[in-house]
Amino acid sequence: MTEKGGQGFGNSKGGKSAHKSSGKDNGSAKSKGGRKVQFESEGSGDKVRKGDKIANGSKSSQAKAPSTQECRLERELPENSKFLMDCEAAEILQGIQEQMVMLSEDPNIKLPVSFDSGLMYAKRGSYCTKSLTVGKILQPLKIYGVSDAEICQIANLRAESVEEVFCLIPSLKAKENKIKEPLRIALGELTNLRDALDELAKFNESVAMD
Amino acid sequence: MFFHIVLERNMQLHPRHFGRDLRDKLVTKLMKDVEGTCSGRHGFIVAITGIENVGKGLIRDGTGFVTFPVKYQCVVFRPFKGEILEAVVTMVNKMGFFAEAGPVQIFVSNHLIPDDMEFQTGDMPNYTTSDGSVKIQKESEVRLKIIGTRVDATEIFCIGTIKDDFLGVISDPGATS
Repeated sequence: MTEKGGQGFGNSKGGKSAHKSSGKDNGSAKSKGGRKVQFESEGSGDKVRKGDKIANGSKSSQAKAPSTQECRLERELPENSKFLMDCEAAEILQGIQEQMVMLSEDPNIKLPVSFDSGLMYAKRGSYCTKSLTVGKILQPLKIYGVSDAEICQIANLRAESVEEVFCLIPSLKAKENKIKEPLRIALGELTNLRDALDELAKFNESVAMD
Repeated sequence: MFFHIVLERNMQLHPRHFGRDLRDKLVTKLMKDVEGTCSGRHGFIVAITGIENVGKGLIRDGTGFVTFPVKYQCVVFRPFKGEILEAVVTMVNKMGFFAEAGPVQIFVSNHLIPDDMEFQTGDMPNYTTSDGSVKIQKESEVRLKIIGTRVDATEIFCIGTIKDDFLGVISDPGATS
């Protein structure tokens, strides 16, 4: 029983700075029957910079965009792979979990541990968020060349500012001039959506307690 | 990050399963064999969402087992270098701290924790800033960046950093209690 086309992660020649691009792959290291341990690391870099807690969000020198990151992912994953936002994954997994309740009489069908942890991770902080809504808010960014992977990363980040997005997704820096304003609008809409859903969650909790 | 992908697997079935429920038995076996597993290329296979195609079975010489090529859709979780993840701290020690993001374990070395945070021993070991305003302890939520990955037979283990801008503690369980 074999998975077709299975290969390990490609190794990367690490950059010198935490902000530098990933670099090109060395190629996969195939396991020879024993434990496969391959460690690819960017390195902490010579420029030691104090990390910041999220609330502060200090500005720093601009990061170089890792141009090969998405290309590498597309090479390693099968064709027709679809990037999923966390809220999208949560909807899919939630649907499966609801089906499992009906199928739970069959002892052969059990959900693995990684399912529960994956579902909990996907649902975190996204009370009732519909992926369709989030997708519609971020859809306009595609006109400016933002890829599906970057859209998903923006959705998952739950960033509060444009600077935060550009810092954490360096590949967007190349399009900064074009997408700064649409991104600011989209982030504002997402924040409003999250706030509204948080209020709804609190209201439902208070109603449940009464 | 989660992905929805199509994979193919050769499933072997014993002749005792042949019958009108053959396809159901094949799917059940596929779910048992595949869900929850981890591969270096695809990451954790969190759940199978559908069966695209079941090919013609091929009888194996000498055993009577039949091999069916099965194409299926699944949701996988695969971290990648440079990805920003939100993780929950599971253990803190003087070497750094361990955290979990979904099924993935991440280790953040003390070298990749901001210099102004120091390790504090005690019942609840933690990393705290000098002014005590920020604390990383068990159950804290942190935003980190993946800088390295290690693939094992059954799991992916990542190295992360919080020593960059916009990384660090999201919520502290001590502050909310």
